[in-house]
Amino acid sequence: MHAVFTNRKAIVALTVPALLVMLFAIVAPILLSIYYGLTSWAGFGKLTFVGLRNYRDIITADPTFWHSLANAVILALVTIFIQNPVAFVIAAALTKVKRSRIFRTIYFIPAILTVVVVTRLWVSIFNPNYGLLNKVIHALGFSQFSVAWLSNPSTALWSVIFIMIWYGFGWALLFYYSGLMTMSPEIEEAAVIDGANRWQLYTRVVIPYIFPVIQAVLIIDVISSLKQMEVIYLSTNGAPGDATQFIANYLYIKAFMYSQYGYGSAISVMFVVIALILTLVTRGLTNRNPGVEL
Amino acid sequence: MLIYSFLIVFALLQIFPLIWLFDFSLVKSGQLFGPEILKIPDPPQWGNFVRAWTDGNIPRYFLNSVIVVGGSVLGATFLSFCAAYATTRMIWKLRVVVYNIFLLGMVVPIQTTLLPNFIWFRLFGLYDTRIGLIIPYIAFNLAFNTLMFTGMMRSIPRSVEESAYLDGANMTMLLGRIVAPMVAPAIATVSIMTFLNGWNEFIMANTFLASESLRTLPFAVIRFEGQYSSDYAIQFACMALVAIPPILLYFVFSRWIMAGVTAGAVKS
Amino acid sequence: MKINRAFLLLTASLFLAATFAWANGQSESTQTQKVVIKVADNLPDRTNGMGLVTQTILDGFTKAHPNVSFEVESYPDQPYQQKMKLYATAGQLPEMFKYWSFSTLLKPLVDGNLVRPLNRADFSDIPYLPGALDSNVYNGKLYGVPVTADMWFVYYNKSLMQKAGVAVPTTISDLMASIPKFKAQGIIPVVTDGKDGWPLSITYDNLVERLTGSFDTVRQAMARKIKFTDPEFVQAAQILQNMAKAGLFQSDLVTSDYGASRNLFGQEKAAMYLMGSWELGLVSDKSFSQNFSDNVAVAKFPVLASGKGQTNDLVAWYGGNWVLGAKSKHPAIDEELIKYLAHQWGPLTWGKQAAIPAQKIQPNETDSPLAKAILQIAGEATSTSGTTTLDSSTPAFKETHQKLCIELVSGVLTPEQFAQQLDAAAAQAAGQ
Repeated sequence: MHAVFTNRKAIVALTVPALLVMLFAIVAPILLSIYYGLTSWAGFGKLTFVGLRNYRDIITADPTFWHSLANAVILALVTIFIQNPVAFVIAAALTKVKRSRIFRTIYFIPAILTVVVVTRLWVSIFNPNYGLLNKVIHALGFSQFSVAWLSNPSTALWSVIFIMIWYGFGWALLFYYSGLMTMSPEIEEAAVIDGANRWQLYTRVVIPYIFPVIQAVLIIDVISSLKQMEVIYLSTNGAPGDATQFIANYLYIKAFMYSQYGYGSAISVMFVVIALILTLVTRGLTNRNPGVEL
Repeated sequence: MLIYSFLIVFALLQIFPLIWLFDFSLVKSGQLFGPEILKIPDPPQWGNFVRAWTDGNIPRYFLNSVIVVGGSVLGATFLSFCAAYATTRMIWKLRVVVYNIFLLGMVVPIQTTLLPNFIWFRLFGLYDTRIGLIIPYIAFNLAFNTLMFTGMMRSIPRSVEESAYLDGANMTMLLGRIVAPMVAPAIATVSIMTFLNGWNEFIMANTFLASESLRTLPFAVIRFEGQYSSDYAIQFACMALVAIPPILLYFVFSRWIMAGVTAGAVKS
Repeated sequence: MKINRAFLLLTASLFLAATFAWANGQSESTQTQKVVIKVADNLPDRTNGMGLVTQTILDGFTKAHPNVSFEVESYPDQPYQQKMKLYATAGQLPEMFKYWSFSTLLKPLVDGNLVRPLNRADFSDIPYLPGALDSNVYNGKLYGVPVTADMWFVYYNKSLMQKAGVAVPTTISDLMASIPKFKAQGIIPVVTDGKDGWPLSITYDNLVERLTGSFDTVRQAMARKIKFTDPEFVQAAQILQNMAKAGLFQSDLVTSDYGASRNLFGQEKAAMYLMGSWELGLVSDKSFSQNFSDNVAVAKFPVLASGKGQTNDLVAWYGGNWVLGAKSKHPAIDEELIKYLAHQWGPLTWGKQAAIPAQKIQPNETDSPLAKAILQIAGEATSTSGTTTLDSSTPAFKETHQKLCIELVSGVLTPEQFAQQLDAAAAQAAGQ
């Protein structure tokens, strides 16, 4: 019986190809980054070994780093506390509504588009001279609110976060909808018969039932908030100042624009460490069954 | 009724930007500066699309995207299927360690790997090749895909496999004939998500490819910035063209996506 | 147990891939006749300006040498620089590419032995302007062929100025006073590329000079003889910030990149465009209206009534160049190519009115009014700045300078904070 499941050759054959790809394209670069993080190097030319100086500078002397990390955390919080509840409510509404398919299709379309199109489209929409948003505001008579959304320090971050939320909304919706649909109507009926009102129904019955989905979505949200880069790169590149800087973009520009490749590598090592910590923390905070394996 | 109106407003919020995009891709460029929110194109400037198609080199980029993404979908789906099975069902000492190595892929940002891979791939002659892009695409999708498969595989009772083995099946048959059909929704989800990730991916494609003949579709939009920076209508037309294939594909496969996410994500 | 078929399949495909990659590498050397040279530049528009000149030269070379063809990569400015840095890292720089002579850009390549020294004698018969060729000399060797003499001034649109009833501003206060008149007509007073930041940095240099009367002031601060926290620097920063605050620039200044800001001017949404002499091609750009072409003109950077700088103190430098990559399969052909380019560049650039080349040129009656005006400004200059501050140090300093200017105009920093951080950056750069 057990022979099938312990066959060594099979195990090797099944895992080695995937492991090789991982090692080649992900693990090796990380190891290289750890090494480069200990150097001062422009990406070409002279390479000097500087030990832990980069890390020290990042932690103590780099306000941009902490600002970009903070922005990523803000994005994660907005995603978790605004995007997700909205997605959940809409998903719940869709389970009750007859023509849900057309709605679901429309809601998901932004998530299908490539990030280049989404970002450029929204940059155009936010453009103060010809953009859709300011035109709508003018048409509604609120001209005093038509600002330069992506250039103004007070609106830039929220505009950028809006783009990211709009883009990712479809996925959250899809996950929650799928989760809700797996719940059989009987459970709901039983709860209603027992006297539960809508609020109790959702908080005591539905949410606990789909909790694994919620947990998965939360972890994905935290990590992708940290990883955000293309939207920033294609829109503001962190401007004005550090207002819209996100950590993945910061490490890219440090390496490729400031020509401080060693420093950029150190940032990416810290990034991986922080991501791991946040993942574990999120899991820990949301784990109902500590005994569940992974 | 209230629910419906709320849903409709929300739908407008999601889709109106695209409508705006398509609308202004059909007008003359300068008209974008006018005050209208939407303008009936009169006459519709189909020429914008024609120019975006030819000057934007869209057919070639499209083909390259298909090749690269197709390759990565096949590779990622297949490899993660095998890896998930081995780490979920097989019994061996390093099982959890290896599983966690795969999950590591999820936390690593692509930017970290850009420059080292750029140097490292060149040693293997992989720079400026489609394979050089397929391999990292597969790598970065392995984490999530393995997670999906694991979730689904856990819900299959071992008895099914054991009885198949008793009936004389070897590993290949076991995986191909028994397990694969049972996790079909996960296969669908994984393929589609890998497809979307690859199709939309931009930074690695920008860095690892140099030749015009190899570039992928997202680049078509970037290409217009320099040369046509004053012609917004053509830029919009290009964006519209780039947006259409995934939308079409989505309409065709939406059922599968739903089914896959249900099975894969929910069960995990 | 049978070896897993799939495993075999995967190994086979990996093997195939490696073979394919190897085969790709082989095919080049088996072709003895045809030569493909990789060229890269930051001129994606091949129908106008320097892009057209470059393409014309490459086509001309192919005509003269039918076995040579080119593979050209062109990107907009910033993405181009990033791509070149990437190539430098991989040791994969193209055979010939457009670059800049600054210590922030060319020098690192020279130090890394990534560019090929040129034979100075090849270019001795070209009437370069004084100092043009020398700006490309490092360690006593010539590494690049200068492209343009770059100057900084204010382009303007005559019809829009007339519409708002504004005369060409000669002082900064004139400029500021014009803002409400433009706004009343819905015209943006001045546009520039705020996203990349360097136009703001150059304008800052210009303002410092207008205050103190000398281009040496910033140089002394960079040499750490004086500090950027001294009053004149803070005052210049205040002026720049006031300009932004008063609405002189487009409202999305810091997210408006090179192409976008140029467009706003070309589409006649803005009356003035703060940019350099390489935009001479504006007048012949087919994407802009005839009205624009007829009305585009240029003026010197305004003076400060209370300052010592004169109107004929001109911010001017030699920036762009063409260089040869060190790694090449056909160095002889490359050298011939760059020699050909250098000889064709001047006449063609001036002939097509694309930019001011870094050589003496013969003005013609047929030159556009814009070109004539620029030549006149150049001729009247009594002092020039040389390489701008932001390009006279390390790449990190350049990025910091740009970023600080962006933060200054967005109001994120006060002029005092700007000065402090700039000084700290200069100190750090000098210490390296």
